Amino acid sequence: MRIAITVWENRVSPLFDSARTALVVELDRDSARERRYEPLGPEIPISRALKLSQLGVRVLICGAISEFFADLIAAQGIQVIPFVTGNVEEVLEAYIKGSLTRDPFRMPGCGKRRRHRFRGGRGGFRGRWSI
Amino acid sequence: MKPEKLPPRVTEIILDSISNGVFTIDHDWFITSFNRAAEEITGIGREEAVGKHCWDVFRSNMCEKDCALRRTMKLGKDFVDTSTYIVDSEQRRIPVVVCTSLLRDEEGRELGGVEIFRDMSLVEELRRELDGRFQVGELVSRSPSMRKVFNLLPQVADSDSTVLIEGETGTGKEVLARAIHELSPRGEKPFVAVNCGALPDSLLESELFGYKAGAFTNATRDKPGRFAQAEGGTIFLDEIGDTSTAFQVRLLRVLQERTFQPLGATAEVRADVRVLTASNRDLSRMVLEGEFRQDLYYRINVVRLALPPLRERKEDIPLLVEHFINRLNSLRGKSVTGISPETLTILMSYEYPGNIRELENIIEHAFVLCPEGRIAPGCLPESLAGPSKHSSPAGSIDDTLRSVEGQAILEALKRNGYNRLATARELGIHKSTLFRKIKNLGIQIPKIDGRTKGAAGV
Repeated sequence: MRIAITVWENRVSPLFDSARTALVVELDRDSARERRYEPLGPEIPISRALKLSQLGVRVLICGAISEFFADLIAAQGIQVIPFVTGNVEEVLEAYIKGSLTRDPFRMPGCGKRRRHRFRGGRGGFRGRWSI
Repeated sequence: MKPEKLPPRVTEIILDSISNGVFTIDHDWFITSFNRAAEEITGIGREEAVGKHCWDVFRSNMCEKDCALRRTMKLGKDFVDTSTYIVDSEQRRIPVVVCTSLLRDEEGRELGGVEIFRDMSLVEELRRELDGRFQVGELVSRSPSMRKVFNLLPQVADSDSTVLIEGETGTGKEVLARAIHELSPRGEKPFVAVNCGALPDSLLESELFGYKAGAFTNATRDKPGRFAQAEGGTIFLDEIGDTSTAFQVRLLRVLQERTFQPLGATAEVRADVRVLTASNRDLSRMVLEGEFRQDLYYRINVVRLALPPLRERKEDIPLLVEHFINRLNSLRGKSVTGISPETLTILMSYEYPGNIRELENIIEHAFVLCPEGRIAPGCLPESLAGPSKHSSPAGSIDDTLRSVEGQAILEALKRNGYNRLATARELGIHKSTLFRKIKNLGIQIPKIDGRTKGAAGV
């Protein structure tokens, strides 16, 4: 399965809408088999959604993301895990281990009030929204 | 006289009493203070914000590439009124204006930076409301349901994707397609519209892909198809749901391969054409019922735009009437000044099965009978002006108007989560007028307070 994490230096990019690069990782069982950096192109919601879809991404891990971007990406069948912060390698490892819901990876203000429910790891999603 | 000594924590008290958000950071970009307005604007409590990196709290589009605080810290210079936006925990974009300065202690030693920001949401909203309408090309509206379409337009236009426009007959699908084309990088190239439902299969194929001389009897010379005419530009395939499955297979191939073969030709022709499609039928249902090919549906449904029928955006009727009057005045050299309130009332109470096209025809009809002055009820087609289809058989016109008015108010209330002030604003009437109408028309409102957060959007 292929996932993407928006990156800024060695961190998760704080805002997907203006992020410039994504780390695309091919996961094989419990390890990252292949990885490459991809530019995300212009800050246009539909072109970003299509870009991720063309890259074959199934899951997007990112920082904050505005609703409009998130909806268009979800419409491409991509699961969005928003409001994630921290070092990219640690985030990737946590995702593989299923422990991404832990506090250190959560942006401030995105705890209990969050509308998104996910169990924090591979195969653990129950749909993107739980409105 | 010596001034009184200020109480301790005075700076904090002052900062908490202002409406601008203020936060300070140290040299490692950790937030060291966060005032009350900052909490309100970002929706993040200070106990959660302090000690966190500023970009994880502020989440602005300038954090990554053009941070004003970073520039201030680097150059030792203040920056004033930088416009940007932040994204809050509810995924809303909040427009803000930012000022940044260095933070120094009493001896002038640099402690870090300070950022002051102002929420511009209200200003932006007022700016939009001042005009109140959106217009792109021939598309004109002030309805919230159309606002979504308008917001999407620039991105959709830019993307070069295939688009599916759904909407009833007469809702303006071709107008929307043209607007997408004109806003797109292909805007200078041809826009070719084809009504697929109007032609039988064999004709549709030769119309779209063209033919070579000798391809069939009477084909005496080569004829380029519509795809060839649209080269570099956009082709709009209307009523795509009315095509046969055999034709759908051919079209799917063109969309996948980006090539087509004119009738009687031996070689494929490359097509650099953007395809926009439209249907007045529910294609997803047609797919389920086996009437439309699923593979083609997925191919054309990359971006889907739904145009609401006119009966669901009646607030647009006055605007559309004005738009058609202006256009017909300049086309026909007439001087119709507007529409009388009685005429508008009749137009507002009609259901428009033919949507905007029907409204346009009604105004065109009125232009024949009323070449100048205001359009009176007598200028409307008989079916509208007389004892009409839209009124209930037993009721008088007054009853009908009251019922329509009541319905319009109730729908507006629902749209605004029963917030009376927002409803009055949307309807363009004073809130006391709204209260009076609610009472007089006997509109039943659920016992919830529309001002309470969370009531909207239920």
